[in-house]
Amino acid sequence: MDNALLAQLLGSALAVALLVGLSAWARIARPAPALDETAARKLLADEFPDHGVQAVWIAGDGAGVVARSADLALVLWRKGDGYVARSGPWRDVVSAGAVDGRVRLTALDGAPRLSLGDRAWPPAEIAA
Amino acid sequence: MKPALDPVQLAIPFFVVAIVLEILLARFGKARASYEPRDAATSLMMGLGSTIAGLVTGGAVFAASLWVWEHRLFTIPMTAIWAWVVLFFAEDLTYYWFHRLSHERRFWWASHVNHHSSTHYNLTTALRQTWTGGVAGTWLLWLPLSLLGFPPAMVAIQKGISLVYQFWIHTEAVKRMPAWFEAVFNTPSHHRVHHARNARYLDANYAGILIIWDRMFGTFIPEDDAEPCRYGIVRNLPNFNLFTNVFHEWIGIGKDLAGSRSPREVVGYLFGPPGWSPDGSRETSHTLKARWRARAQEHKPADNAP
Repeated sequence: MDNALLAQLLGSALAVALLVGLSAWARIARPAPALDETAARKLLADEFPDHGVQAVWIAGDGAGVVARSADLALVLWRKGDGYVARSGPWRDVVSAGAVDGRVRLTALDGAPRLSLGDRAWPPAEIAA
Repeated sequence: MKPALDPVQLAIPFFVVAIVLEILLARFGKARASYEPRDAATSLMMGLGSTIAGLVTGGAVFAASLWVWEHRLFTIPMTAIWAWVVLFFAEDLTYYWFHRLSHERRFWWASHVNHHSSTHYNLTTALRQTWTGGVAGTWLLWLPLSLLGFPPAMVAIQKGISLVYQFWIHTEAVKRMPAWFEAVFNTPSHHRVHHARNARYLDANYAGILIIWDRMFGTFIPEDDAEPCRYGIVRNLPNFNLFTNVFHEWIGIGKDLAGSRSPREVVGYLFGPPGWSPDGSRETSHTLKARWRARAQEHKPADNAP
């Protein structure tokens, strides 16, 4: 690797660091407040428009949602200032065990960890 | 081995200044833009990594172009203005088909998907470039230009000009350009649709510089202010990991191929549309759009309603 190329790569890496730092300083991410049921249902409607939602369970920190649609679990969790959506068999998703106030949904790719707070798991009100 | 004049390399300082400006204008409420620092870091690292990946495969690609040009049908002078005008249209048409193939066939989507994995649409998204394009072989699509007689350096320069043009359209800061411009050129509005994951906007607006190709080939969809674009891919990635971003679709192909039970399945998993599955249980753009049309039809008021 010649010196000019090395200098260019190092300069580029420095520019990347400065730009990321500037974007962090600017605080211009989208607002991502804790979800309430209305906001959760709107997000679910965007992500799963073909699935009727029977009931919604919201994580203790408002950063995750598990909803039931017949035999499917519709799950949302926060990533940065947005949400990731996945669905899986209801029975598999709610069989996850809670540890240290969190539940890890390993039945879904990405295996999200949702905070329980004072919420019960599995969500008794929608598990029946 | 690259041409002495590389528009992308020359434009890098402009890219940096433009990103700084976009961030500052958004910070002070003068322009619309949102940045999530980890998302921006992924985009910028993808750009840096693609430069390095290009060093690995670029020489072989340029050598192949040179070999084809040595067997050219015509000799086209690099100094003729008409040659640049013809190349502008020919390269842009090539780009349209490259881009369409990169969205509609999974093998090439695996390489291109990481340009679309950001859930943001800002100038750093433009730099979120593939690391595996050389391996995917889409560069082969440009070889006919060299076979026709366009010198490889000339083709490389025009490809660079197209990439530099496409930088500025990755922004929410520009709402609409003048109507005549929107009619002919690719614009921030047209390209926002291209990056959207709303079912109605999928597989649209493949243009590089000229939007006329989408209008001609039936893939143009205008941005509808009533339905704001939601950016990213149909199944957004669960983390910001750079390597997940680069390789997730290749890994997905590998897993599917390992579980294939017939040559038909192998071909389908490799060259079918993204989301293809033997039993149709997964979602493709086609099925997502069909369901969106059905929902839209369902909610449409009857024409003869009182």
